[in-house]
Amino acid sequence: MIRLLKLAPSPSILRFDLRHALADNRLLGLWRMMDGFRLAYFAAVFSVAVTAAVRAGTSLLMRYFVDDVLGSGAVDARVIWVALGFVLLAVVGGGFLFLSNTFAAYTAEGVVQRLRDYLYDHVQRLTFTYHDQTPTGDLIQRTTSDADAVRRFFADQAIGLGRIMCLFLINWAVLLGLDWRLGLVSVVVIPPIVAISYWFFGRVSKAYEDFQEQEAVVSTILQENLTGVRVVKAFARQRYEMDKFDRENWEKYRRGKRLVLMHSLFWPASDILCGVQIIAGYVVAAMLAINGEITVGTYMAYATMLIWIIFPMRNLGRIIVQMSTGLVSYERVAKIIREPREPLDEGSHTPAGNVRGEVVFDDVCFAYADANTVALKDITFRVEPGQAVALLGPTGSGKSTLVNLLPRFYEYTGGSLTLDGEELNQYPRGYLRSQIGIVEQEPFLFSRSIRDNITYGVGRSVSDAEVIEAARAAAIHDVIMDVFPDGYDTLVGEKGVTLSGGQKQRVAIARTLLKDPRILILDDATSSVDTETEEAIRDALERLMEGRTTFIIAHRIQSVMKADLILVLDDGEIVQHGTHAELLREDGIYRQIYDVQARIEDELEREIAGVEYTAV
Amino acid sequence: MSNIQQFEEEEFTTQFNGQTILRIFAQVRPYWYWLLGFLVAIGLVSALDSVFTYLSKLIIDEGIGKKNPEILVHILVLYSALIVISAVFVLGFIYFCGLLGERVRYDLRKKMFDHLQALSFSYFDKTPVGWIMSRVTSDTDRIAELVTWGMLDLTWGVMNIGTAAVFMLAINWQLALMVFVSIPVLIVVAAWFKKRILVEYRDVRKLNSKITGAFNENITGVRVVKALSREAGNLGEFQELSGAMYRAGYKAAWLSALFFPTVQLISSFAVAAIIWYGGVQVDQGFLTVGGIQAFATYVTFMLWPIQEMARIYAEMQRAVASAERVFSLVDAVPDVTDTPDAIDPGTIRGDIRFEHVDFYYEKGKPVLQDFNLHVRRGETIALVGETGGGKSTIVNLVCRFYEPKRGVVRIGDHDYTGLTLNAIQSRIGVVLQTPHLFSGTIRENLRYGKLDATDDEVEAAAKVAGAHDFIVDLDKGYDSEVGEGGNLLSVGQKQLISLARAVLAQPEILVMDEATSSVDTLTEALIQRGMEALMQDRTTFVIAHRLSTIRRADRIVVIEKGRITEMGSHGELLRTRGKYYDLYTRQFRDELMREYHPWEREQQAKGAAAL
Repeated sequence: MIRLLKLAPSPSILRFDLRHALADNRLLGLWRMMDGFRLAYFAAVFSVAVTAAVRAGTSLLMRYFVDDVLGSGAVDARVIWVALGFVLLAVVGGGFLFLSNTFAAYTAEGVVQRLRDYLYDHVQRLTFTYHDQTPTGDLIQRTTSDADAVRRFFADQAIGLGRIMCLFLINWAVLLGLDWRLGLVSVVVIPPIVAISYWFFGRVSKAYEDFQEQEAVVSTILQENLTGVRVVKAFARQRYEMDKFDRENWEKYRRGKRLVLMHSLFWPASDILCGVQIIAGYVVAAMLAINGEITVGTYMAYATMLIWIIFPMRNLGRIIVQMSTGLVSYERVAKIIREPREPLDEGSHTPAGNVRGEVVFDDVCFAYADANTVALKDITFRVEPGQAVALLGPTGSGKSTLVNLLPRFYEYTGGSLTLDGEELNQYPRGYLRSQIGIVEQEPFLFSRSIRDNITYGVGRSVSDAEVIEAARAAAIHDVIMDVFPDGYDTLVGEKGVTLSGGQKQRVAIARTLLKDPRILILDDATSSVDTETEEAIRDALERLMEGRTTFIIAHRIQSVMKADLILVLDDGEIVQHGTHAELLREDGIYRQIYDVQARIEDELEREIAGVEYTAV
Repeated sequence: MSNIQQFEEEEFTTQFNGQTILRIFAQVRPYWYWLLGFLVAIGLVSALDSVFTYLSKLIIDEGIGKKNPEILVHILVLYSALIVISAVFVLGFIYFCGLLGERVRYDLRKKMFDHLQALSFSYFDKTPVGWIMSRVTSDTDRIAELVTWGMLDLTWGVMNIGTAAVFMLAINWQLALMVFVSIPVLIVVAAWFKKRILVEYRDVRKLNSKITGAFNENITGVRVVKALSREAGNLGEFQELSGAMYRAGYKAAWLSALFFPTVQLISSFAVAAIIWYGGVQVDQGFLTVGGIQAFATYVTFMLWPIQEMARIYAEMQRAVASAERVFSLVDAVPDVTDTPDAIDPGTIRGDIRFEHVDFYYEKGKPVLQDFNLHVRRGETIALVGETGGGKSTIVNLVCRFYEPKRGVVRIGDHDYTGLTLNAIQSRIGVVLQTPHLFSGTIRENLRYGKLDATDDEVEAAAKVAGAHDFIVDLDKGYDSEVGEGGNLLSVGQKQLISLARAVLAQPEILVMDEATSSVDTLTEALIQRGMEALMQDRTTFVIAHRLSTIRRADRIVVIEKGRITEMGSHGELLRTRGKYYDLYTRQFRDELMREYHPWEREQQAKGAAAL
């Protein structure tokens, strides 16, 4: 028993690739999902059958006791044996019940553990395109609630179905063996009971959905009232809000009442049907016993087993309805598994060391799979190792798309893009990404400690001294020590501190410093952070850029003036390129933007002069 | 932050508290006949179950044993009649119990919601929305469960044990006493198991929310994960979590799987005793065959309640804890209320004076100190200054969302605490920085300003605020749904609607917190026009962010650290070259940058097209 407590799926079972568990038929799919657990599952079903048989055996032992022991006229030592027999049957029955529940739990928990692991890994290996197109909430729903519905399918419903069927079939078979007439009369009402319960639970699950829907409406009103408390008070609309809430709350009460009514009609109705079956059975069996065709013991055994046939059947409808939700969830999960992964180590060219960082775009084109417009057209330029290239352009001009090609987040669809002379798509994605560092304007941090966020994805063990050094260089060390309650161990996010945009950015800079990539992408990292830290961040960024090929995405000129090459993008095309000095000499959008600054200062001066003048 | 942590839920820590239980049942008092109805019904159903067993005994002993078909028929007719009667009671207890549950839920939610409307801002500042939400939703559910299915389980269990005991004693009291010996053993075993099982399930719940969190983070942060090639590391961490989840889930199932057979085994000793001792008694004529059968059945009647006892107890504990939280909300006292002799002067037009006002949200952290300001009727006051300086506090005090801790705010000649809240708040219009809309149609949202407004009035207000044009361009015009929190509309559209709503309300005093978020130029112009229309002839306080608004004000008040540091007209203040000068020039550069920069303009045009 204690050995069973430690039962856990072996690593080889957990490694099973769930892509092999896909099938168009959902039941077949669930069957395949049980790979590696089928033996345990059969053991569970077998054990259920044994417990059902033991239950029938208990009735038969009672029959023996009544007919042969008590009926023999003189009570003797056999009484003791019968008494022990009951205990023994309880031990055997209980033991197998324990086994069946344990094996069912092992199967269900094991299957869902493997499913969760697989989904977790799968989701982080799906393509960017997939994530662009899939709403986050939906994906979370499928990976959590739907996976849990699959677990319930194995833990409760499939085994519950087995239990009901075993109880029914075994008890019925024994009854038929005792007396075929009794066997037949015991099941006449069963078909309507099953049909009604199936029909009823189908209806109830719909009514329950209605009820839950209304619950959501009530929650929404409550939430809007709480978040809009200022508006409510400002317009003195408390009465109105109360009435509104009351309307929906009452509607929920009404729907709840309907649900209650359905239940309060079904259960007594099915009680009466079961009662009809019981009375019919008793009448026939008792008459047979009075006529001497069966013994008293047989009658008693029959009366007990009849109960075990009828009452479980009432739940058959419910289990079938619940199973259908399990099947729907399987389908929803399978849909994710069907999506192809993005291979990380596929590629013919893996240099032993780091890349140098020479990047050449030659007529590179890109179009998103679902769009008919081209996102990038004939992009051609060249960056030497260690140089900085700035991409300037309005939102939607293709700046981000262009840099997203470098780590192969998306695959360019035309032209040639080489890194150190080798075509980019020959490099494995994993290798490329280890060579590239990205700092965004407001980076995503994980809800773990600051230290873990700094060392996240560095890919090697990092000493505390290194972490502190990186944090110093990123101008975040002082904030961590002075402002955060637990220093480097402070948790980030919902359950910890909330970082400002600038602070998050500096954490990302520290992280990138530790990662020490050859190519750097600064995605809008240089614009509009809190004024007080602007300088600190600019210094930190400059340190970061030293000796790395850098791509700077920006939409204001101040951030790009020092770049070795400035590309002005519009609508997926390069409209101007050159250094700051060169572009200023050209008559184009770059100079127009540059001139805005001067113009603003002029106007400000005039405005203030106007005020001074009025005063005089 | 620390604030929120103290609101985190704690399970299984509350002890039973008599007062709380009394209050819970006070909720049920209006429906005592339902409670009584289902308790009586369940009691009868449970008693009938014992009667059925006894009838089965009679069938064996009197019908079959004595070979008497007549008696058999009598018994079976009675049996059938009782089945029907029992079915009626089953209908009764499910219906009354379910109905009572729904009703208690409805009442509690209504009571809480209504009370929330009366609570002051200070309560909402301290209490997270999520906390209140779960009080109103899940805690009311638990309380309703307690007074319905909890009470039902309890009654059923007591009745089962009671009636079974009575019948056993009636059939053979010596044997009955032997069976009763097993009960304490069962109780101890059941309590031991359930305690452990509940602990395991709590772990399962905790781990489950961690797993959801892990998925959430991995999906929302997937781009970072990919960029940093963290896939393998993440999977390793997740596998530890899912492994722990497996162990907790499996262990809970294992314990449950062990629990039931153990209880059965103990009861099988009772059955064995019945067989052994009963066999002897039958032989001596003290017990019948049917009696033995009945005994065996009655033992199982006692099992179920004892098995479930620990679960019911734990649920009751949780429900009492829920009730304590619910009552803490219901008992919260609003700190801004009408005084007994508060009056409604009919209008609140007049000068507004802050006289020596002190204010703080938290003791020891003063926000306003000895604040004085005299605003003449019809004047427009622009409040400017850094965030956190006290601008919002000033307008919150004007609206009497809070009251001064010291000093007086006068409206007209009244100390405003002598007026009713409704007198003030129904005559003040508030336009918030982030406009808040309610689910429903645009028309419903506009009517929020004046509930009995005709369609013409609504449209007229929308026209004044400049919202009419975009509304009629929508598919369903004024009857278009705005979505939850207005999320089907753009920020600019929401601002226009919130302006129109205020126009419709025709307030006597206007309070505006200007939006900082940029909208496209066209909408911007519309909003400006709408604001102008609204501010006409009204005493107006505006927390100003836009140059045009600031310039238009009659007086500009610069607030720093809870004090007025500069005050005067735009020209006057610019010339002093102080704080206002700095704020103004910074804003000037920003705004013009937005206006002149070719790409920002383009972006705005795109935004406008999206309208």
